[in-house]
Amino acid sequence: MTTDPRPIPIRIANQRAYIWDVDDIAVLRSQHRLCGILAGTLPHLSQQNVFLGVPLLLMPEEVVLLVEKKFAVLVDDPKAHQAPTAPQLQKWEEEREEFAKRHIVVNDTKINQNAATRSISEDAMRKRKERMERKAARSQQPAPVDMIPEESPAERAEATPAPDSRPSTPSSNANTVAYPVIIESASSTLEWYDTSATTYDAIEAAQAAGIWSYPSNLSERARCGVFRGLWEQGYFLGGGIKFGGDYLVYPGDPLRFHSHFVATVIESPVATLRPMEIVAHGRLGTATKKSHLLCGWNDEKKDVSYLSIEWAGFG
Amino acid sequence: MEAHPSYHLISPFSTKYPRAAGSLFLAYNDIVYSQQWTDVEVLDLEPCSRAAIRGRRPNAESTMNVVPCTLSELISLEWLENAFVSLDNPPEVFLAITSEDSSIVYYKISRGIVKPPL
Repeated sequence: MTTDPRPIPIRIANQRAYIWDVDDIAVLRSQHRLCGILAGTLPHLSQQNVFLGVPLLLMPEEVVLLVEKKFAVLVDDPKAHQAPTAPQLQKWEEEREEFAKRHIVVNDTKINQNAATRSISEDAMRKRKERMERKAARSQQPAPVDMIPEESPAERAEATPAPDSRPSTPSSNANTVAYPVIIESASSTLEWYDTSATTYDAIEAAQAAGIWSYPSNLSERARCGVFRGLWEQGYFLGGGIKFGGDYLVYPGDPLRFHSHFVATVIESPVATLRPMEIVAHGRLGTATKKSHLLCGWNDEKKDVSYLSIEWAGFG
Repeated sequence: MEAHPSYHLISPFSTKYPRAAGSLFLAYNDIVYSQQWTDVEVLDLEPCSRAAIRGRRPNAESTMNVVPCTLSELISLEWLENAFVSLDNPPEVFLAITSEDSSIVYYKISRGIVKPPL
């Protein structure tokens, strides 16, 4: 993979940071040593949570690091969706109809072929063909511009001449032919999706715009500082909940390596530390072949100091 | 109390740092009589308001430093850093944590990011 100077768009919605492009996810992992967590489930298997896909949910510390290093920009995703103009909407609707028509034709051809092999009567074949032609003729009528595109083309064509004031339900009509509706995971192909006014290349700017708040206090600054400090030494970092810490520290990609350290963030050099914490962290780490890292953040000097804890092996 | 063989070594520090006297006495006796360290000396560790213990484990070349503390004390990273500095910056310091029932546990605290042993 070649180095891409284009900053990766991180899409922010409700103070959470998502990556929607798999190529961006690959760049993050292979070039920037950041993994995030895949959070999207599969449309057909929405109940399972083992094999997850896009979007990638980033830790706030990862977001701050990426923006500070100029590897990424923050995009206010909800605001980037502007109201489409009438021509834009019409074009989108036409493309959608074109897609649907293509699929209906393909489907019908398949059905015809199947029918031929099953030797359905000539009569049925003729009727089907007539139906197809009627449908094609209807679809070519231009769509009204102000119409909200919620119905399928077939539905709409039927709804217009219906004498009944109630809208017809698709299932009640034998003429309706199913076609797939594809919902894109990314909005970037939509003409009215414009990120130019809603992109921020600095954390402060995003904070001022009210879309992002991290880091807003000492505890969050400490976490960002420690995350950055460990990352700059070449480590991969993951969430530390499984081992009772803040981060797990990996010497390489977590898919290839076990973590060597469990790290906890300590907000200041004078923050209270209880000997019981040293015992608990130290013993768990030793039992799992990891050292425990106490990562002390100094908010005045903006630096991190590290202490490693292990059971002594005697006493 | 005065009859205990360790008493005379410890007494100057137990008068100077009475709050740390208990854990020092416990750690010193454990190191000398239970762990059987040799060349054991007691050092003043002024910034931590206590004394530290330095000695050599059986069959070991280098000396090691032990800082006693009780389980109920509150310490900090700065406190640990001060201990390192006062002990002439050894790569590691052993924290001897004592509890009221006189049990004791030692933890190795190393400066920097030190990989776990294989």
